[in-house]
Amino acid sequence: MSVQGEVAAPAPKRRRKAHPRLAQMARTWYFFRRNTLALVGLAVLVLIAGTAVYALTQPLPWYKMPVYCASDWGPGNPNSTWPKPYAGNNALGCSHVCTYEVSPPPNAAQYCDGQWYKTPLYTGGGINITFASFIPPTITLSPFSVGPMPLGGLTTQLGGVNAYDTYRSLLRGADWSLAFSVSIVGIGALVGLLVGAVAGFFGGVIDDVLMRIVDVFLSIPVILFVVVVVVVAGSAVVTLGPLDAISTRLFMLIVGFALVWWPFYARLVRGQVLVVREQKYVEAARASGASKGRILFRHIVPNSVYPIFIQFSLDVGTIPLLIGGLVFLGFGPELFPFVPFPEWGSIAAVSVIDMQEFLGQCFLPSGCAIPWWQLFFPGLALFMFAISVNLLSDGLRDALDPRLRR
Amino acid sequence: MRMATYIVRRLLLILPVLIGVTTITFLLFTSLPVSYQLLAHFGVPGQKAPCGGYFPSCDCEEINPHSVSNTTCQCPATVTSPATNTTPYASCPNPLYVSDVHQLGLDKPIPVQWATYIYNSFTFQWGTVSNNSYIVNHGGVAFIADVPVVTVLSWFLPYTLELAILSLIIILAIAIPLGNASAVNRNRPVDQLSRVMSFSGYAIPAFLLGSFLVVGLTLILLPTVGLTSHQPWCPGGEPLTQEFTYSWPQGGKACYPHQLLFPENYPHWLTYGVISHPTGFPTVDAMIHGDYWLALDSIIRMIVPALVIAYGTVAGLLRFVRNSMLEVMNLDYVRTARAKGVPEKAVIRRHAGRNSLNVTITVLGLTFAFFVGGFPVIESVFHLWGVGELLAYSVVPNIDFAMIFGSTLLFTFLVVGANIIVDVLYAFLDPRVRIG
Repeated sequence: MSVQGEVAAPAPKRRRKAHPRLAQMARTWYFFRRNTLALVGLAVLVLIAGTAVYALTQPLPWYKMPVYCASDWGPGNPNSTWPKPYAGNNALGCSHVCTYEVSPPPNAAQYCDGQWYKTPLYTGGGINITFASFIPPTITLSPFSVGPMPLGGLTTQLGGVNAYDTYRSLLRGADWSLAFSVSIVGIGALVGLLVGAVAGFFGGVIDDVLMRIVDVFLSIPVILFVVVVVVVAGSAVVTLGPLDAISTRLFMLIVGFALVWWPFYARLVRGQVLVVREQKYVEAARASGASKGRILFRHIVPNSVYPIFIQFSLDVGTIPLLIGGLVFLGFGPELFPFVPFPEWGSIAAVSVIDMQEFLGQCFLPSGCAIPWWQLFFPGLALFMFAISVNLLSDGLRDALDPRLRR
Repeated sequence: MRMATYIVRRLLLILPVLIGVTTITFLLFTSLPVSYQLLAHFGVPGQKAPCGGYFPSCDCEEINPHSVSNTTCQCPATVTSPATNTTPYASCPNPLYVSDVHQLGLDKPIPVQWATYIYNSFTFQWGTVSNNSYIVNHGGVAFIADVPVVTVLSWFLPYTLELAILSLIIILAIAIPLGNASAVNRNRPVDQLSRVMSFSGYAIPAFLLGSFLVVGLTLILLPTVGLTSHQPWCPGGEPLTQEFTYSWPQGGKACYPHQLLFPENYPHWLTYGVISHPTGFPTVDAMIHGDYWLALDSIIRMIVPALVIAYGTVAGLLRFVRNSMLEVMNLDYVRTARAKGVPEKAVIRRHAGRNSLNVTITVLGLTFAFFVGGFPVIESVFHLWGVGELLAYSVVPNIDFAMIFGSTLLFTFLVVGANIIVDVLYAFLDPRVRIG
């Protein structure tokens, strides 16, 4: 009985052996977890992603002053007589009535479509400049003050140098930045993965031809290429499928970046595939009669994608910087007119441009307060995004590359 | 293989790359509307042109006044204007449009157009600067209107090249020692410092950093040195703050060449035209003329922009230098060198350092396209004169297609050339490349 009982007793529970790839992931996570900085980066990224999800429920900001409501007023236009009430409904589609705050020019703001818009920057001789309607001239400090951030801070329409809602732009910037970065680098990485894998696996003429194409694309400067692509798309009258003209330009922005991005990945993957395809398990798969496609996509590609993850996470952070550079070159209101483009890089660039205008009009010794928050917070968002992505990438590399493990 | 053979072979290999690059540019160029292509190639037609522009067709009256129904106009059809719906007008093909389309070969099949475009690109027929472009109307450089793009680029390229050389020197002077030091002192403060530098260089866009520096330096310099100071090289006086921030003087206070609109402010030799401008490089020209203050002036103006460029580029370079140095330090011959008693400094510099240089140069070559692509932004932040500034001016309306395509071609050719130099350097540093 007792013997029988012993036999019937359940065997000690053996831990099931994990799938090797899962085991590797667990190992990676183990090493990743011990890297505090990488964890911080991950946390910030998760925060940004959460913000992005929340931002999707929020309306788009009016990001640039709608010119059709205000172009013909204010001392900036020498022919205008101020104040000049303007009823909308013109050819550009402003169908609402714009009114102005009834007050003297320095403190005037424009109320349009439920929001406050730009205040005139000039008063009289262009010396004493106030920049926001609700900051009285008395607290413009001299000579080199930074302006006090107004009460209510970012959540109000500041009506400062640039007439956009900083808070709302930053909020929507979370999802726009993420969407742009991930889609651009994602497309680039996918194409690069395919091209690199095919070139590395088949070798010979295919490899030569593909790598020459990669060389060609690698020698085109990134920003210039995107400039050309977007300009061409903007000047051509064609629109793509269901997209309107503006969406076509935004789409071409993505396509332009992706076109210059894939060759880096193609090179990276090719180098990795060249190593992996000589491994024993590939030989074993070939011996057991696996087809070429199966060998490539089941054995070689999954084992050569790790460098892609590292590079991917690194590149995602640089996209907003590059888009900011583009906008700084003049791709904001000019090529995307009347459209909010709340991408963090773009917001920062527009802020910089407007700040330069502001400082140019502002003769410092006579005093003008600098609306620093318009530059600081977009810059901070940009910086946080890029640096968290960087930390993440560093942690990933340390966890994935055993040679670099500390 | 001998070095010369290697170089010749490498030079032959760039031909397909150049053709590929121009093909891509051609594909983009052909997708422009025909009128824009004509504008980019021939410039804006003058006032006397029929219809005043490159419209495919125009009213008979515009071509041949007082003869709307005249047979000399040879109008194919009488069209009713959809806009007015009342006055019928005769429409003719625009003769200028027709002849220029024919001259540029746009009526030929695409492969022929492609061949023509490549021929034009290689023979530097890159089109004409539009006299409607922003830089002509607002940038204060009216002298570049209606001039071939290549000519304008050749005026401005030396400025960009000087900036590029200066920033390359700074980049190498920072990246190599710092990368080596951080590899040798792994996980020590130097290493952490270089990591922080690398991270932040990735995360701060150049236009933001540059603008902060412009504003910051202005604020710092203004109260200490006053608004204007008279310097030996600028008797008229210019704001000293602009010396470091706005690299080429604005307004009428130029001390240095670049405002042909105000020739009285120039050093006398600069107004004499090409003969007194032997190289085109501002610093070199000033030196040739013995104007040493001016040479110093033009270098000082480039320092801050070059530092900003270097900051971004070094960030990308540092981790490669560090990693390659780490790998080399673990190799056997380094251990051998140590074992036979070579001093540690010599081991690091002569044995390990030289071999990790290969990777540095390769990565520099690979990222050169990024490096060059950053110039438009930097030059427009600091108001530097150069090709990038031209490009920045030509993307705002009215868009100057000739300038955009021309500077893209130029930068691409520059990158290809730089890659050749990198390859030759690589072969020089690592004999295995040319032997194997």
